[in-house]
Amino acid sequence: MKPTTLNKYKLIIMVDDRQVVLERILQVTRYRGFLINGMHAEVNTGNNIGTITLSVSSERPISLLVDQINKLIDIKGVEVDNSEELVAASI
Amino acid sequence: MTESKTLTGGALLFEVLQEHGVKHVFGYPGGAIMPIYDALYHSDVKHFLCRHEQGAAFSAVGYARAADTVGVCLATSGPGATNLITGLADALADSIPVVAITGQVPTGAMGSDAFQEIDIFGLSLACTKHSFQVTDIDDLEKVLYQAFEIALEGRQGPVLVDIPKDIQLAEVTARFDKLSHLENKVQLPLADIGNALELLTTAKQPILYVGGGVGMANAIDEVRDFANKTGMPCVSTLKGLGAINPDNENYLGMLGMHGTKAANMAVQESDLLVVVGARFDDRVTGKLDEFAPHAKVIHFDIDTAEINKRRKADVAILGDLKANLPQLSSTLDIAPWQEKLKQNKIDCAWRYDHPGENIYAPAVLKAISDKMPTNTCVTTDVGQHQMWAAQHMAFDDPSNFLTSGGMGTMGFGLPAAIGAQISRPHDTVIVVSGDGSIMMNIQELATIKRYQIPVKILLIDNAKLGMVRQWQDLFFEGRLSETDLSDNPDFLMLARSFDITAKEISKKHEIDAAVEEMLDHEGPYLLQVKIDAAENVWPLVPPNTANDKMMESV
Repeated sequence: MKPTTLNKYKLIIMVDDRQVVLERILQVTRYRGFLINGMHAEVNTGNNIGTITLSVSSERPISLLVDQINKLIDIKGVEVDNSEELVAASI
Repeated sequence: MTESKTLTGGALLFEVLQEHGVKHVFGYPGGAIMPIYDALYHSDVKHFLCRHEQGAAFSAVGYARAADTVGVCLATSGPGATNLITGLADALADSIPVVAITGQVPTGAMGSDAFQEIDIFGLSLACTKHSFQVTDIDDLEKVLYQAFEIALEGRQGPVLVDIPKDIQLAEVTARFDKLSHLENKVQLPLADIGNALELLTTAKQPILYVGGGVGMANAIDEVRDFANKTGMPCVSTLKGLGAINPDNENYLGMLGMHGTKAANMAVQESDLLVVVGARFDDRVTGKLDEFAPHAKVIHFDIDTAEINKRRKADVAILGDLKANLPQLSSTLDIAPWQEKLKQNKIDCAWRYDHPGENIYAPAVLKAISDKMPTNTCVTTDVGQHQMWAAQHMAFDDPSNFLTSGGMGTMGFGLPAAIGAQISRPHDTVIVVSGDGSIMMNIQELATIKRYQIPVKILLIDNAKLGMVRQWQDLFFEGRLSETDLSDNPDFLMLARSFDITAKEISKKHEIDAAVEEMLDHEGPYLLQVKIDAAENVWPLVPPNTANDKMMESV
């Protein structure tokens, strides 16, 4: 099989703390062709805003995923942390 | 604002539906939605009992598409809810505003594998624009308002609201607050009209590529004005059919896998695509890397995620097409290009002088198209008949041609026609179906009988799954695997058992009289048209092939 190049990205996603918002993000991420390498999620109970940090990898440009996550109703914003952008090889 | 009052959850649902102008809903009752059906009993909302929840979902889709409104469907928990899923997926793929209400087992029983319990909330994630599960009666009103707002705002789509039985029975004081419950979070960039104008006015061979988003943006007039002022040659996607006036001399027809040769060749030669409400679907582009290889792209869309998804845009103009497109309007100096494409259109015109006495399906569809009253709404199923309808029938508005585009769902046509006829009772509604597709939701003939819905059913019968058979012949060395339907039921007897007048024709000289009889009939009518099983849909762009390498015969 031809080796593929996976780009790694870190997303910081701000969400309203609503039902299944995490499931929605995970479903979209998988469906749009991104592997999830790591995740951290917490909620500020003072304002019910959640912060989800998602490490993902894919051959596809990250803008495709950012645009799709941004379409979800309970998303307040998505940022790409370019400081850790890496390239990995996989089979 | 209506004054506040105390209601059960079930009664509140119908009050909110009426607040949104909903007069008709489609559904099927069951255990976990009985309080809602009890509230329906006292409501002014008219319910249409379909004979399968998938039929209810498609009727809601047809209702929404035909009348440019929201369609509403109801189903009980478990299998009732799962039966809605195909209809919701279809609505998501074609961006149709539908609100689906599902009953759920009581909150105390949720998560216990209770009778008819399924996690429809979880299942809905991939097939809706958004979904809710109401676990507090105090949230119900706000959620229902949000459901309608979300279904209609931006790129439209289906929303599911799952309501447990105890929430349906609980009482709440409703406020009927019409204020928006959504935050406007996305700030669209300012339109780059200057660069777009530069591309447009310097193009020598531009094409206007029109998609389903035009009708949804209510921008048909603006797109036609733009086409007229620029004189640009135009092509349409399957869902865009009707957006461009079919009499426009620069209109070349549908592009893509079964598009016209004139449309596909023009797109391949173009130096600029002005894309309005379309998304470079794979059935349109063929081999993506070779699609319109010399063209720059100006892409108008409401959905940011469609920009650069499959084809890079040189200029992207996001937002309301109705407001944005007129800013680009300009006269163009493209006479040689126009004349060349007009000649191509003449050279590639459809022919209906098929040899022999048997019926050539496109000739029947052309005859219906020529004879059907103004504002006739045509629905289709999926397969050869669908592509023939798209090729050979003319539509003057996208709401007059309802077909399952993105999902390609067999079984769509009959229930969608029921919904369309209910939303437009004074217009003629015709289903164009095939003998494979119609069996997918044949139970909806009972809905037609129950409500005496005067839908006309044109059944193109080749006793095959024709499109799959065509591909097996062309691309799988003729191995006809599971595409023979020669054991179909007697469709005339079947229709008559539902009090539907039915007739069969099989010779070309019978076409005109039969079509007129069907169109003149006051009630529901089925016309079975037997055709040669070997007929193929031409032209055809083979898979993973550029659109200028289409097949035109075997």
